Formats: sequence, C-alpha cells, structure tokens
Amino acid sequence: MLFVVERRTIAGRAALTVRGELDLSTTPQLEEAADEAFAGPDAELVIDLTHTTFLGSSGARTLLGLTRRARSAGVRFHVLAPHSNGPVRLTIDLLDLGAFVPLVSSASEIRSTVADRDGGT
Amino acid sequence: MTAGPVDDEALARCADEPIAIPGAVQPHGVLVAVTEPGLDVVVASANAPALLGRSLRTLAEILDVDALARLRDGLTGELAEVNPLRVTVGGAEVDLVLHRADGLLITEWEPVAGAEQAGAVWHRRLPSVLQRLAASASLEQLSATLARDVRAVTGFDRVMVYRFDAGWNGEVIAEARREDLEPFLDLRFPASDIPAQARALYTTNWMRLIPDAGYARVPLEPAVNPSTGRPLDLSGAMLRSVSPVHLEYLANMGVVSSMSVSLIDRGRLWGLISCHHYAGPHRPSVADRTAAEFLGRTASLLLRTVVAESELDGVVEVAERAAELSAAVGRTPRALGAALTEQEVTVLDLLPAAGAAVRLGGQLRLLGTTPPAERVTQLISALLDAGVSATDSASARVPGAADLLDTASGVLAVPVGSGDFLAWFRPETLREVTWGGNPYESKVAQTDAGPRLSPRRSFAAWSEIVRGTSRPWREHEVAAARALAGHLAAATLNRSEEDNRLVGALQRTLLLQELPKVPGVAMAARYVPSAEDVVGGDWYDLVLLPGGKLAVVLGDVAGHGLAAAAVTAQLRHALRAHLLRAAGPAAALSLINEVTGALLPGEMATVVVAELDPRTGEVIVASAGHLPALHAHGGGAEYVAGGRGPALGVLDAPTYAEARLTLSGDDRLVLFSDGLVERGRGGLERGLAALSEAVVAGPVAPEPLLESVLGALAPPNTDDVTVLALTRS
Repeated sequence: MLFVVERRTIAGRAALTVRGELDLSTTPQLEEAADEAFAGPDAELVIDLTHTTFLGSSGARTLLGLTRRARSAGVRFHVLAPHSNGPVRLTIDLLDLGAFVPLVSSASEIRSTVADRDGGT
Repeated sequence: MTAGPVDDEALARCADEPIAIPGAVQPHGVLVAVTEPGLDVVVASANAPALLGRSLRTLAEILDVDALARLRDGLTGELAEVNPLRVTVGGAEVDLVLHRADGLLITEWEPVAGAEQAGAVWHRRLPSVLQRLAASASLEQLSATLARDVRAVTGFDRVMVYRFDAGWNGEVIAEARREDLEPFLDLRFPASDIPAQARALYTTNWMRLIPDAGYARVPLEPAVNPSTGRPLDLSGAMLRSVSPVHLEYLANMGVVSSMSVSLIDRGRLWGLISCHHYAGPHRPSVADRTAAEFLGRTASLLLRTVVAESELDGVVEVAERAAELSAAVGRTPRALGAALTEQEVTVLDLLPAAGAAVRLGGQLRLLGTTPPAERVTQLISALLDAGVSATDSASARVPGAADLLDTASGVLAVPVGSGDFLAWFRPETLREVTWGGNPYESKVAQTDAGPRLSPRRSFAAWSEIVRGTSRPWREHEVAAARALAGHLAAATLNRSEEDNRLVGALQRTLLLQELPKVPGVAMAARYVPSAEDVVGGDWYDLVLLPGGKLAVVLGDVAGHGLAAAAVTAQLRHALRAHLLRAAGPAAALSLINEVTGALLPGEMATVVVAELDPRTGEVIVASAGHLPALHAHGGGAEYVAGGRGPALGVLDAPTYAEARLTLSGDDRLVLFSDGLVERGRGGLERGLAALSEAVVAGPVAPEPLLESVLGALAPPNTDDVTVLALTRS
C-alpha cells in the first residue's frame, strides 16, 4: 500500500501529512522527514494523521519519540488526529498517548492552543 | 553431589523469601509505625505495651513535652541528623531511631540499659582514626585499620573485612580478633553463604545487628499495614527480624551475636565488615554502631581510589595496544588476518598471554604457545557454544580439553561472526585456595515443602590445590578483546547474523520454561516469534507476592534485536523486585518508570500488570501505555478500561492508576501484546473485536483457550506475539 509523508502547511504552520500505514516499515520515513523539520527554521511542527490508515504500536512509539525530541529542540509540536479517523484514534486512546503527546482533533484547535498560550504568558 | 535442577529450585525458594518484610522484629527494641503529623499508631510490635504502656494510641501520650518537641523538630529536617533521640519512657532511658517507609514514620525504641558502651575515649579518638583510614596507601592497610577500629568501638570478639569476587564468593582480607580465636584471615566463603536477595538489601541498608541469634521473633500487629494492604517494609529498620536460614547459619558457626556493615563502591556491594561474638549476646549502643557504620561509609568512599591505584597497572598498556590494533585494522580492511598477526604489534601483544589465535574468513593463524592447530577451532567453538568467553579453567568447561593444560588452561575467546574468532591462551598455574568449609558439599535439605537451602554445618578450613587453572582474565582484558572483535566485525562482516544468535539466547532466558503452579489459579502463556527470526522485545512474567497474591506481567520493549532483548531483561528483573516491595501494581510501575528513565535513557516500553488474589478473585490492573487486558465473564467480555498511564520512559514522574475487577466462576483474564491484534485485516479495531469473540466462544481452560484464540486470530507473523490467559480453578 502507498505510504507518503507530504510537507504542507496547516493553520499556518509547517506540517507533515502522513498518508497510508504508519508501521514498523514506514516509521523511518516519518522520522527522517521530522529530522529535517527539526533542523529547519520552523519553531512549530504539526504531524497530520488525518489520512493515516493504520497506526500501530511502532507508529505510536514514534509519536512519543518525536514529541520528546521536539521538546528538547524547542519546537512546538502538535499531532492532528481527527475523531473521524476511528482506527487511528482507537490506538491513541487505548495506549493513552494523550498523556504525553500534544493531541488536537482539528486544525482550528492548533490556533486556539497557541492563542491560549500567548494569552497566558 | 546433588543434581543441578534441585539446587536451582532451592536457590529460587531462598530468593523468594521476603526478607524485607518479615512481619516481625527482634526483641531488643520496640517498633512503632505512626502517621505524620498526627503520630497516631498504625502498626506496633507485640512487645510495645511492655515498654510504652498498655493503651498505645499516639506517641504524643507517652513522650513528655520536651521530648515531643525535640521529636517534632527533628521531623522537619534530615532524620539521620537526629538519630538517635535520647528520651525517657516510664523512667527508663531509651534511644529512639527514626526513618520513613510505606508513607509512615517508623520509630524504633531501644533501651539504653543492657547495651555495651565504648565510652567517650574512643569517640574522642575518631578524628585520628579517620585520618589513619584516609592515609592508607594500600587496600591491606585500609582494611586492617578498619577491622581494628570497628572492633575497638563495638567490642565484638571478631571483626573481619570481607571482599566479594566477581562470582560473589567472599574472601577475608583483614581481621581483628580475640587472641584465643583461630584466624579466619584469607579464608574464602562461597557465594551461596549470602544469597542474592540479602546482597540487594545490603546495598541500600548499611548496617545489620543481631544481638542474640537465639532470639524469639516479635510479630508486628496488625500483621498487614492497613494503609498499603501489605506487611510493613522493614528494609530500613534496625530491628528487622532476619531469615531463620541465616540464624541457623550463625548457630552452625557458633556465633551468638553478629553485626555487619556494608562496603559499597559506586552503588555496588563491594564487601562487608562482618562482626561475630561467641561469648554470649552482645549489643553495642546505638551511638557505637553509628560510629562503626560511619567508618564503613568512609572506607567505602576511599575504596575506589585505593583499589584503582593497585589495579591500574596494565590497563593503560592494554588500551594503547587495542588502539594500535584497531588502527591497523582500519588501514588494511582487506587483509585483516595479516594486520593482526604480521605487523609490529600483534594480537598477542594486546594482553598478557602465552599464545593467541585468529580465525578470519575460516582461515586460522596462530601466535606464541597454543594448542595444536587442529584442536584450536574445536576448543574455541565448544567454549563459545557453551556461552563461555573467558575462563581460567577451560578443561572444567570442555571435557575433552584436559590434555591441553600446558597451553590452554586459560582461554579468552571472542566471536567475530560466521564461526570466526579471536582467542588468547594461558598455561596452568598451580595455586592453593583455602575455603571456610568445603564449598562443594551438598547444602540442599529435603523438607515437606520441597528442597530448601540449608546453611552449612562445617566451617573448618579446607584447602585445595587448584589444578588446571591459569591466571584469571581481568575485566579490562576481556573488554579490550571484545572491543577489538567488535571493531573487526564492524569493519568487514555482516553483524546481524551474529547478533540474532545472541538475541535468541537472551530471549530464551526471558521466557519462563514452565509456568509456576499457583494453588487456585490456572494459567497458560504462548510466545510466537516473528517469521524473520528477528526477536522482539515481548516478555511475560509471574511473580508470587508475599501475602499469597500473584502478579502477572506482560510487556513489550520498543525495537527488535540485541539491544531490545537486553533492555527487556533488565526491565523484567527490576519490575520483579519492585512488585515484591511496592504497594500495588501502580506504585511498582512508578518505580520502574524511574528506573527506565535513570538506567535506560531513551528507551520506551509498555507493560500491563494484573495482581490477582486467588482466594477472593479480586484483580488490580495497572497499565503503562499497553493494550488493555480482556476480562471475559458469564455475560460476555470487556476490555479493562481504567488503570492506565503513559508508557515507561516517557514522563519523569507520571501517575499510574489502578482498575479493579473480580474474577468469579469461569471468568478469564487475557493479557496480550500488540502483535496478536494489530495487523490482521481491519486493523486494531477488528483485531480487538476478534479476540473478544474468540475468548467468549472458546473453552474455559487456559491451555485450549489460547490454542483456539491463536487459531481464530491467526496473527500475521511479522511481529512477535505473546498472549497469556488465567482463570481461577
């Protein structure tokens, strides 16, 4: 099945849209793309799982790892996983990923997250 | 001789003995666990009323105003600084010693009357004693000073400084004793004299005292700490009652009273100061014991430099040679055999040895004095197949090598992949070893509960001339050999094949050969490796907890291969230890998360723990980022929704929750790894539904249930699959 990581802009931020199945064989591609993004000038990165058809445990671990690296790189990080994407949300909920990974369910939430933060600081 | 498996079983039994939570104290003092700040009594030893009065509800009622004020004041700071607090209770002077455990303040009350006092003279001399310790130029000097001064302050008949070797055998390296006693200096004691569990406790608790080995244990009341549901953790208590096996051991040695102080080097138990009294019971005062502990702690800090200086010789040279050889390998990657044997510096120069062998690409080259070429490959493969890399007694490991003592008593061998290797040889050197008692005699006693370790009865010195052994290989020599082999493998060969072999071996040790039998519980487990024979990080474990509960663990470490398998091994053993001591699965997960962060930075693992009380069927489930357990009951099946927290190694101090359920009747609980449900058609959602259906439709008994579940789900063999089922029987 086709797997692609596309560089896009979502809610005005640099984003990586993951299409296809994110599993043991495809996570390296996402990690590579994220590495480039972390090394680049953007202070913010969105991982977009709207079009991800499968999120396995290795994909979940990759998201945890990227969150951690984003923190140490000082990059604001969001994982976009709409509720309409049932299979992906199921993995996220079962593994309690939300405890650590900054999850949003729509692009508009990213804006408000930032607004909240700006307002609060 | 006894058979190996029996010994293993007896050792395992001993390792299961809950020495940190014996539920009792020794009678020379009173233990009272209280709340803070209320000081209300939660647990007390049965002898408390005799010392502290009948209706003991709170410490505020038994201490006078001044003592209470000093106690409350002490609680705001470092407890070690107020210990001991001298108070008067019912007209008697008592030393009060404080520490915290299980969320309670543990107070231990030891009457001053009856304790031996070294007197102020010794304590005034402390500065000069410390100076003498610090000025020691050698280990002999340091340990001799230590033995002499610990004996001076504590008054024991015999004080020994005991050093552990790599196999945890102990050797007496210094001794101060009553003159009429026979010397124990240079005696060795086998590792089984101090079981691993005791050694682990000694690493956190610096001092143990048994004033009278013939004591009658005093139970704690209530037996179970109501705030944790477990016996009180006494690992930090000076009054902790010790294992009956240990008391039997002391009695066999004629010891009436004993004390020991740990010697710890960089977090690892290095040795002990061991004190014996034969004339009768003996109890040094709290102040004198504290002074002895202080000397032990000071010596521990000095050990590193003193030992490092004496062991440093040779390390630098070996490191230099290793660097030169690695450079030679880098220069001529296509002629490695020649690079290692024909240049100015050869493999034989790497470390002190009489001969060396290099086998690369199937071609063997020999240097110096070695066994004949036709025997070398056979000998080395036999050793490596047996998992032996360095031995000072090859003939003990390989039966057919007895005629090679002159050339190959000692063999250091490291694999380079595809049957290739590097090896070094040392000839036999005769030496005499004196043991405290014959270490080879059987020590397994048959009891109604199965074989049990029985402490040795004979301690008379027993000498042997050790034949067929060479000078031992030192740690840095083995490390240098391994590093060179690793360098070679990376330079030329495909390492993956070699790694897989190691991983397979490691993984086998992670999975239980056979599930332990637990009364009232029926269990089964299956592990199916993935098709590529790349071993994953799945593991499962069963831990019998003190109090009769059973903890069932199923976990998964990120990644595959050697690194994941090694991490898995460490996590499994650490989690075991924490489950035995923590107040429930969520607390154990918090502790293991801390370990993951500290010892395995960057690693991530998920795990689910279910703690079952076989008598009531009550189950507590806690999960660290793992897929939920499945609870099947009369009306269907549900995934356990609560009790979740983040995967291990993700957050610094996460909170783990616990979910509770009850297994009644034919209820089954199924734990599984993602490989079982994740990759079928329809993904995780369909997989979870299919598992639930298969369990509801399947037989009750765990063995056939797992057969039918694996048959129904037929997980693709791209990932390893682990599944475990249990039910009450």
